[in-house]
Amino acid sequence: MTFTHPNASVSFAGLDGDTLQRALKPSRLEEEVLRMFEEFRDPLLRYFLSLGLRIHDGEEIVQDVFLALFQHLQAGKPRTNLKGWVFRVGHNLSLKQRARGGRRERLHCHEEAAENQLHPQLNPEEQFVESQQRKQLLEEVENFPEVDRCCLYLRAEGLRYREIAEVLSISLGGVSLSLGRSLARLREVNAQ
Amino acid sequence: MTKWKKDDHISDQNLLRFADGELSSRETSRIYAHLEACWKCRTRRLELDQTIADFVLAQRRLTQNALPVIEGPRALLRARLQQLQIVERPGLWQSVRQFVFHPRSFVYAGVIFGAVLLLVLVMHFGVQQVRAALIPNASLTPGATRTIRRDDICSVKPREDFYPIPATLAYRVFEKYRIHNPRPRSYEVDYLITPALGGADDIRNLWPQPYASGDWNAHVKDALEDYLHDQVCAGNVDLPTAQRDISANWIAAYRKYFHTERPLPVHAAFSIDPPWED
Repeated sequence: MTFTHPNASVSFAGLDGDTLQRALKPSRLEEEVLRMFEEFRDPLLRYFLSLGLRIHDGEEIVQDVFLALFQHLQAGKPRTNLKGWVFRVGHNLSLKQRARGGRRERLHCHEEAAENQLHPQLNPEEQFVESQQRKQLLEEVENFPEVDRCCLYLRAEGLRYREIAEVLSISLGGVSLSLGRSLARLREVNAQ
Repeated sequence: MTKWKKDDHISDQNLLRFADGELSSRETSRIYAHLEACWKCRTRRLELDQTIADFVLAQRRLTQNALPVIEGPRALLRARLQQLQIVERPGLWQSVRQFVFHPRSFVYAGVIFGAVLLLVLVMHFGVQQVRAALIPNASLTPGATRTIRRDDICSVKPREDFYPIPATLAYRVFEKYRIHNPRPRSYEVDYLITPALGGADDIRNLWPQPYASGDWNAHVKDALEDYLHDQVCAGNVDLPTAQRDISANWIAAYRKYFHTERPLPVHAAFSIDPPWED
């Protein structure tokens, strides 16, 4: 019996019907991983974009992260701070992918898509000003040192200081210093 | 930990860590106290919050339309997980090998070994405790008396006619009670009916009485034996009654004659008969 998933090159060739039925019945662990995928897929993907990955590369890495998470949990390994775990694995895979891809893609390549997301209650002039401010803010962040940028984006995804320190393998003080520096700079930009 | 004086303003770093709950309770209290009095720092805290909010908003707007809908990637992940489970389902031999060589297996093995060892020890010593009970087994030690008159008993003081039980007889008593390798000074090989009350030097009248058996131990029985001897000689209790009472259930006899549910404290360390020693 051959079954090919419509969305990807996943093949179940050579399996009998019973085996396939059993395999397709979702296990509790599988459901747990899928629930976590729904919770963290967008934050992870946003973070990968901030690291300069293209969307489709980011999607692939998200898939790899959750396959690794499944194996991690299946092996009975620790369940403490799984949020930090997925970001750490994703961060490392992204850096590898970026090293293979050569250059870092700047985040504001997605600006065209963002143009359609202006606040509908603002008039055209206000929308333009808001768009410019946002562009300036993100432009400034693009010029930050990589560690500062990573800290800032991870914080924006809701990671706590300790989690950020684990993901980036830096000290808690380092995270504190980096975020303090970044926010001071952003305040200057806002003030301007 | 960053040190700061009372009049110093709070640094951005500390304000951020404060917002994240990353400071010690002492530092948190200090910052609370400072913020209550310092508008400059309170304003700065609001600015920091606003800056983060502006940044998050800008980032979300930028990426909102760029992210594909989740349904397709989710279905793909589900299919991959299912495929992974088929591929990775190990055979029997592989499962056994994984279990045997998994580091956790050594921990399990250690725990099981420890539990078995503990069980063996508990059984070994516990059986001794059970076998050498407070009251002798009536079928093994029914009690035996020699033919004697009250005057003969009372012509000597208790313990004056004491002689140690021969080691071979003591070992036969332990064997009878299936106690192997008895610990020295843990038992008194005792007469159920003491010779001072006409008890016979007979294995049917001997039993290993543990010292470590709570309140009702060999010391307390020794006290009862002496008391009964005195009562018999004083004419308050006749000899057959004393013999019957002590052989039927010496604890009940103690309660009866001393009018108490618990052994008297003065009898807890009462000791005349020597303990059994190898």
